[in-house]
Amino acid sequence: MTEPGGRERPLIVALVGNPNTGKSTLFTALAGIPTRIGNYPGVTVEEKVGRFSHHGRDVDLVDLPGTYSLRAQSPDEQVAVDVLCGRMRGVPKPDCAIVVVDASNLARNLFLTSQVLDLGLPTVVALTLGDLAAERGITVDADSLARRLGCPVIPVVVPQGVGVSTLRDSVVGAAAALPPPPPALAAHLADADAERPPAARDAIARYAWIDGIAADVIRRSDRTGRSRSEAIDAILTHRVWGTLVFAMVMLALFTSIFRLASPAMDLISAGMDGVAAQVEASLPEGPLRSLLVDGVLAGVGGVVVFVPQIALLFLFIAILEGCGYLSRAAFLMDRLLVGAGLSGKSFIPLLSSFACAIPGIMAARTIENRRDRLLTILVAPLMSCSARLPVYLLLCGAFVPDAAVVFPWLRLPAVVLVAMYALGVIVAAAVAFGLSRTVFRGPPQPFVMELPGWRWPQAAVVLERVREAAWSFLKNAGTLILAMSIVLWALGTYPRPVLPAGGEFTEAEARGEALRQSFLGRAGRAIEPLVKPLGWDWRLGCAALASFPAREVVLGTLGVIYNLGDVDPGDEEGGTMLVRRLKAATWDGTERKVFSLPVALSIMVFFALCAQCASTLAVIGRETGSWVWPVVTFAYMTSLAWLGAFAIYQLGTALGW
Amino acid sequence: MQSLEEIGVGQTASIADVPGADAVSLRLLEMGLTPGVRVAVVGRAPLGDPVELEVRGYRLSIRRREAALVTVTT
Repeated sequence: MTEPGGRERPLIVALVGNPNTGKSTLFTALAGIPTRIGNYPGVTVEEKVGRFSHHGRDVDLVDLPGTYSLRAQSPDEQVAVDVLCGRMRGVPKPDCAIVVVDASNLARNLFLTSQVLDLGLPTVVALTLGDLAAERGITVDADSLARRLGCPVIPVVVPQGVGVSTLRDSVVGAAAALPPPPPALAAHLADADAERPPAARDAIARYAWIDGIAADVIRRSDRTGRSRSEAIDAILTHRVWGTLVFAMVMLALFTSIFRLASPAMDLISAGMDGVAAQVEASLPEGPLRSLLVDGVLAGVGGVVVFVPQIALLFLFIAILEGCGYLSRAAFLMDRLLVGAGLSGKSFIPLLSSFACAIPGIMAARTIENRRDRLLTILVAPLMSCSARLPVYLLLCGAFVPDAAVVFPWLRLPAVVLVAMYALGVIVAAAVAFGLSRTVFRGPPQPFVMELPGWRWPQAAVVLERVREAAWSFLKNAGTLILAMSIVLWALGTYPRPVLPAGGEFTEAEARGEALRQSFLGRAGRAIEPLVKPLGWDWRLGCAALASFPAREVVLGTLGVIYNLGDVDPGDEEGGTMLVRRLKAATWDGTERKVFSLPVALSIMVFFALCAQCASTLAVIGRETGSWVWPVVTFAYMTSLAWLGAFAIYQLGTALGW
Repeated sequence: MQSLEEIGVGQTASIADVPGADAVSLRLLEMGLTPGVRVAVVGRAPLGDPVELEVRGYRLSIRRREAALVTVTT
């Protein structure tokens, strides 16, 4: 075990356990911040490795995905088996395994333990959540359990630091000295009913073995009252109170990513504007300054601006997950989503997507089932995000007549606004339903989900979750978003415009001319035949094209293209100016107005359904580990957007709106 | 023979078998729903599905369709 240079190579220790056993808490307690986070080759299962030193020995702790079984039925289970057996590329065969066992839920946790013991690796059991067990009147005799399992069993209470050091001792000692435990199950397996499938026989035999052990090592006190956990559970899964609490928690979650994040986002924008002003002041006007300000800085700002929302959402998720509410939320909402081919776990990712699809898609990490996760990711961008709202508001305000609908207080612009949000939800449900019955057809996906006992979330685990989400976004998606921003800058800047000689141009007119003559402007003209059936002239086509990387730029682009210069269409004055200009716009060489109610509707429907967000596509690529899914998302959403816009425009025109 | 789906909220039953050889049945066995084990139906989600069970001292949520795969005796 000695590397060249005399230093011993690090011990490889695998951390295995059921979900909700405090495995993450234990990882953080043992190894602190992970030294390596990534994906295992070829699968979207997270690889997390941390290092600690104990008595001069380096230990690499490999955190395996939380699993209930090693039957290798899901990608998570396959990874766990491959790592434990030394078959995973890039991960040496572990010298030792730590199995995390929840003392309050011993029998089911021993199932996985028995499978790990069968692998013949030196094994140490970390017995966690003894406090939760005690609350239920259960004590586990660690010494007898150790005798029965044939491996060390160390009770661990992470918040009090109990057992962590003993566990380290045991791991370093076990890896060197411990012989593999004896196969304890053979007799039971031989006894089992031969009629059943082997996997069923195996499971029944293991539980028979476990029941024998559990009877020996569990001491029950005569508590008959309900535990605190059960009392909380009775309220939070109650039909009325549970639903009410759920609505309040979700409202708080949604409001915070929608509103609480905005001061931080404004601060980032202001900071980036400040830096841009500095650069503008210190560099002469020219291509370099333009690249730095409109390409690089705009791109960096466009990346960093998402971090507050991502951090806040993951703060919420980590707290909800840590205390056990996340699976209750999925339990409450499952029926609603199952009709669309999704599951209860899709709810929080989809809800978050109304603020922004990027944190929403990242939140889909909490969905273990691969098919459900992919479906959720694919439809999440259809939820109307906050970047669509300014477009809806401007167009509803300017072009939808302020008429009463049924009631005098119910105004048509408000109805149209709500309809745009509803459109996204309905189309998402239809797409998920369609995909789940075609591309993703297969045997029914199980929704066998543990509802873990209530407990306090661990601050260290929560913060690590937030840090990891923000960092992985910046590192992986961020670089790509930045690159795309620079490409877009080039397309909107080159070729440099040729201004007709002799004419006097204001700066706004020159900016407009530059955009019209750029590659982007030319592309806008080229696609006019494509957008004409939607009721759009080439300027609108151009603005739509420019907003593919990020839909929030559309109003700004419209401002530039209509020679308003850099007005801010978000503020009162800029908005009024833009509306006035749009209302006056005519088709080239005619007196015919471009904008009408059907055109406004067609633009809104297009924006509601279109994948105009390069950042979202980059995140889909990162989260699915494949370039296929961003391409699929882009293609299906853009097609639907065109069809939807076409339908509403033609319908509106035919009905004479 | 009754299925677990037919057991009302607040009632308990004893698992007779999970006879299927499909992935869901095997997962139910692995989660501890083995023959002879007592199971209590603790609650139902507001929309009627899924159900919350107590089995082997922990809480498990399964859909009614999955509960139908489990035969029980009361």
